[in-house]
Amino acid sequence: MKLAVASGKGGVGKSMVVSTLAMLFSKSKPIVAVDCDVDAPNLHLWLGQREKWNEKQRISVSERPIIDKKKCKLCGKCVEICAFGALKALTPGVVPGVVLNNFFCEGCGACEVVCPQKAITMKAIKNAEIRIKKDVYGFPLVSAQLFPGETGSGKIVDKIKEKAEGFDYQVMVLDAPAGTGCPVIAALNGIDYAVLVTEPTPSGRSDLKRVLTVVNHFKIPYGVVINKWDINKKLSGKIEKEFAGRMLGKISFDKRVFQAIARLQPILKTNLPVKKEIKNIYKQLTDLEVAEHSRKKPAKIDLWLSKSGK
Amino acid sequence: MVLADCDVECPNDHLLLGVKLEKPVEKIYANFPKLDKGRCAKCGLCARKCRSNAVFKASSKYPVFIEELCSGCGLCWHICPNKAIGIKKKVIGEVLQRRIANDFWLITGRSVGVVDETGPIVTEVREFAEKLAKKEKADYLLFDTAVGLHCGVIRALIDCDLAYAVSEPTPLGSHDLGLILDLLAKLKVPAEVVLNQADLGNENLIEKIVKRRGIKIAYKIPYSKKLVKAYSKGKLGKLNIL
Repeated sequence: MKLAVASGKGGVGKSMVVSTLAMLFSKSKPIVAVDCDVDAPNLHLWLGQREKWNEKQRISVSERPIIDKKKCKLCGKCVEICAFGALKALTPGVVPGVVLNNFFCEGCGACEVVCPQKAITMKAIKNAEIRIKKDVYGFPLVSAQLFPGETGSGKIVDKIKEKAEGFDYQVMVLDAPAGTGCPVIAALNGIDYAVLVTEPTPSGRSDLKRVLTVVNHFKIPYGVVINKWDINKKLSGKIEKEFAGRMLGKISFDKRVFQAIARLQPILKTNLPVKKEIKNIYKQLTDLEVAEHSRKKPAKIDLWLSKSGK
Repeated sequence: MVLADCDVECPNDHLLLGVKLEKPVEKIYANFPKLDKGRCAKCGLCARKCRSNAVFKASSKYPVFIEELCSGCGLCWHICPNKAIGIKKKVIGEVLQRRIANDFWLITGRSVGVVDETGPIVTEVREFAEKLAKKEKADYLLFDTAVGLHCGVIRALIDCDLAYAVSEPTPLGSHDLGLILDLLAKLKVPAEVVLNQADLGNENLIEKIVKRRGIKIAYKIPYSKKLVKAYSKGKLGKLNIL
């Protein structure tokens, strides 16, 4: 079973829930934890781990165009077709030539295709590092860091999910990034169940609905957790009603959680009330897991994985 | 003042300011591939060359475009030897405008539907806000970015005169602060730090990060249950914190 925790909004307690669930699941079966927040990976910290990785590997999931100035005739075709505004033509007066804005380039390669002079070649760049910790409370953690200034987080997520498949597991627990864009889509693609964490704030509720459009689009079964439910009991009640039958549990607000993480102490190693509340959520999920075996798998769109090379 | 909410995947500034958004003032479009089966020779070149893995091709079948994974780059329609791939325009985002006070505008960018590549939406929202700021002779143009380091964040930060990096004194906060400050250095955008919940946790962690980079902590916001409650009710604007 592949279980992802997502939220839309950042800072609502996603990684706290993932780290605790991972530790709970690992007590009874082999698991693998995957930190899909490759922009700013934090799951290792919630699991009390400083950055001592067993394996680090710089990877390339993107390319950049190299423009051969001798061949370029300044026709401007590449500038015209770039969907991301990454290519600019510097006009005479300055030095004539086509300039690439690295920060806007998505590495799609359309410029290489359209150049009539064949002056553009795509070159692979190292844009991320995969990091593996083999034994975190008895289970492996697969993480990655997108290098600041690079693009391609969705493809990095695909890569670490592939890496995680190499481990022997019964449950894969994924920490999805905030937002709804490419790395979130990549994290949610092909999973069996999504735990959606929210908080009773207008933005928490709004972002829950935003991420739900992605979850529903892929027809992923899901449940809802309200973190810090007691900071606004009225709004919490409203969310509970909206998601009646979908509720997995509620977690209370406790500023000692903040202090525990400041000491790098995983929630499961504390005696805070939060721990018991997440344990209850875990219980609900294990019941679900049993039910899952008799259910049809959700639609997957990763058919292209059979394709070689890319 | 013009505030542009560039967190287009999850825009929230209007909620924190306690206002409702009205109808979009502008739609943002992107191009997506559309197959002309009459011309397609099922050669599969589009599927092999697409770097987003957004074209699926089973043998002897027509290619299928997976829009959720498509960035709209156009490689497929440029590379097709039979000109069998056309372009269809699709709305991927919208711009919303709201006047909060006489001299305070909120511009909100929002993605529409399941959008893989949200960076271009940020650029459009930004251009819209820049035009308005110029027209209204605004003193300040403030961008609220998404979380993380991805293209949407970069597109909001690039060419800014100053960036505030908001953090908190925990290992999580210092870890992510280091990353965003590195990004800002690469973008050559001057940065200062705003430390939230500054009196909880361990401030030394933050000190280490900022000292090494010669960056100052501009503001410290202490933990306040009142603030948490006001935030949860969407009434932050009514608290006299400034």
